Amino acid sequence: MSDHLSKQFDLELENIRTRILQMGGLVERQVLAAVDAFSTGNLQEMQQVIDTDSEVDSQEVGIDEDCTLLIARRQPTARDLRLIMAISRVVTDLERIGDKASKIANMSRKLHLAGGQRIPRLSDVHHAGQLATDMLQSALDSLARMDLEAARHVIGRDKAIDAAFNAILRQLITYMMEDPRTITEALDIIWIAKAIERVGDHAVNIAENVIYVVSGIDVRHSAAARKQADSA
Amino acid sequence: MSPAGRWLARALLANLLPIGCLALVAGLWHGPAWAWAAAALASTLLVVVHTKRLAGWLAWLDSPQDSADSGYPAARGASSEVFLKLMRRLRHDARALEAVKARLRSFHEAMDAVPDGLVILDGGHRIQWHNRAAEAHLGIRRPCDGGAIVEQLVRAPGFAEYLGGADATAPFLLQSATARPRLYALRVVPLGEQHKLLVSLDVTDARRVESMRSEFVANVSHELRTPLTVVSGFLEHFTDDHMMSADQRRHFARLMSDQTARMLSLVDDLLTLSQLEAEDAPASEEEVDMADLLAQLLAEGQSLSEGRHRLAVSCQGPHLRGNRKELHSAFGNLVSNAIRYTPDGGDIAIEWEVHDGNGVFSVRDSGVGIGSEHLPRLTERFYRVDRGRSRDTGGTGLGLAIVKHILLRHQATLLIESRVGEGSTFRAEFPGWRLPRAS
Repeated sequence: MSDHLSKQFDLELENIRTRILQMGGLVERQVLAAVDAFSTGNLQEMQQVIDTDSEVDSQEVGIDEDCTLLIARRQPTARDLRLIMAISRVVTDLERIGDKASKIANMSRKLHLAGGQRIPRLSDVHHAGQLATDMLQSALDSLARMDLEAARHVIGRDKAIDAAFNAILRQLITYMMEDPRTITEALDIIWIAKAIERVGDHAVNIAENVIYVVSGIDVRHSAAARKQADSA
Repeated sequence: MSPAGRWLARALLANLLPIGCLALVAGLWHGPAWAWAAAALASTLLVVVHTKRLAGWLAWLDSPQDSADSGYPAARGASSEVFLKLMRRLRHDARALEAVKARLRSFHEAMDAVPDGLVILDGGHRIQWHNRAAEAHLGIRRPCDGGAIVEQLVRAPGFAEYLGGADATAPFLLQSATARPRLYALRVVPLGEQHKLLVSLDVTDARRVESMRSEFVANVSHELRTPLTVVSGFLEHFTDDHMMSADQRRHFARLMSDQTARMLSLVDDLLTLSQLEAEDAPASEEEVDMADLLAQLLAEGQSLSEGRHRLAVSCQGPHLRGNRKELHSAFGNLVSNAIRYTPDGGDIAIEWEVHDGNGVFSVRDSGVGIGSEHLPRLTERFYRVDRGRSRDTGGTGLGLAIVKHILLRHQATLLIESRVGEGSTFRAEFPGWRLPRAS
């Protein structure tokens, strides 16, 4: 990072960055644990994921407050301002991912407690979960290193997760057509798969914010801007 | 006289003698005024020459590559000695620097060869230096992560607190979030006043062995306890209940003998395993007639199946070099597994053939199949795919472990292919040199 006249400012910026990345680590663990618990049916792990969600929420509030304070006290400009803006957006994304993790855990618990597995615990769901956590990890790595190349790579990987989601959907539809009794269970699994797919989308958002910080180009919702950022 | 004094005398002599001589000649010829004028002129010339030489050196110092092809500007006169000495000193320093660099390089190479991850952190937890293992363990990249804050890269919950905390007695366990999770034990050691050394150790295998060992002990005691409980329950019954009919007594005795037979077979299997583990190679090897062995396996299989399955045998390979007793035990285990896990009316095919120069023994069944997640752990002792079912069928849970050990002693590999609901194929591949050419 660039040097500032005030060492204290540098320290505060880095602190916020460290905190958001730490929060990212926590959320990453949450998603992984939730997907694992879905496959193994480990009730204790599900409960732990649900309980830890409040920790994620409180970290979100804390980081948001720090961002506001830093803007008020230091009036950052240019890249520093972009960094702060990006962090306050990423924090929202991370909190959403945390919500998705606890949603997966909740649904898994419901499925587990209902008993009577008519649909086997699809390994595709676990695979999609792995993809999503990998993406999230890469997105956070690109945020830690401010790595434009890695961020672009993350955005490109969203297609794989969408494909995995569609594959799960098709599989579940065949189950539902064969035996209408599986419908409730299949719907719950669809919710879980959808939550995993959304984790991938949030990872893409994080990567887009990294591109915004480094190149100053907002690539959200715009193919043209994405091209411009690619050539930057 | 000191070296500096000698140099001073020589320089004075070299510079002042010509001026003095010139002044003397001019003075004798034209008078003292001319002598002073000549001396002043000569001195001025001398200053100009020296200044010019100094300017040349300065230019060379600023940009050595632009100057003459020899590399060094010409050094003449008394100052040449100073110049030469400076050059020598410079060359000496360059050599010393090179030596230090080489030592540092070899040190870095040595550190990169260390299997444990090492990271040096400064007071703000910024990465100062790390070795190659740390890249694999912690996901640090070279060189872009030099100066990065380590908590930003290692984001596992709890790590920041561990790094910041004072007590570093217990290591922090970091699980990598890859497809095959690995476990690292991280330890922080203070380094000097401000710095910290972060050491990471791959403990995946150690942990696995540890958990396997404790699981094994728990399993053995459980497996022995179950039949013992049954037997002791019946014994209690016998002593307390005197009104028991002879029929009932016989029935209980039969149940008890079933249980003791199970315990016996378990202990036998355990002994076989420990014996297999104690020696590296079979005691004796012979050429085993596979057709004969397969016929024996078929007969045993049929008696175990009691006509509930269709068994087929095909022997298209040569003899096999090995210990007949051990091979019989290994193949027999595979066949009895196939029979036990195949529902009534299923097919079981036992084959011996040569494939790509290797001897392949295979048992294929149309049974329940095994999920892919169980395959890697199948040969572990007491590993059960389905805890409820396998004990009913009379297995000790040690069969495949014995098979694996015996095959290992015959340099053979066990390959398992299986799909849930479609059946499994167990293949033992023996290396080509175990097949005698004559037959």
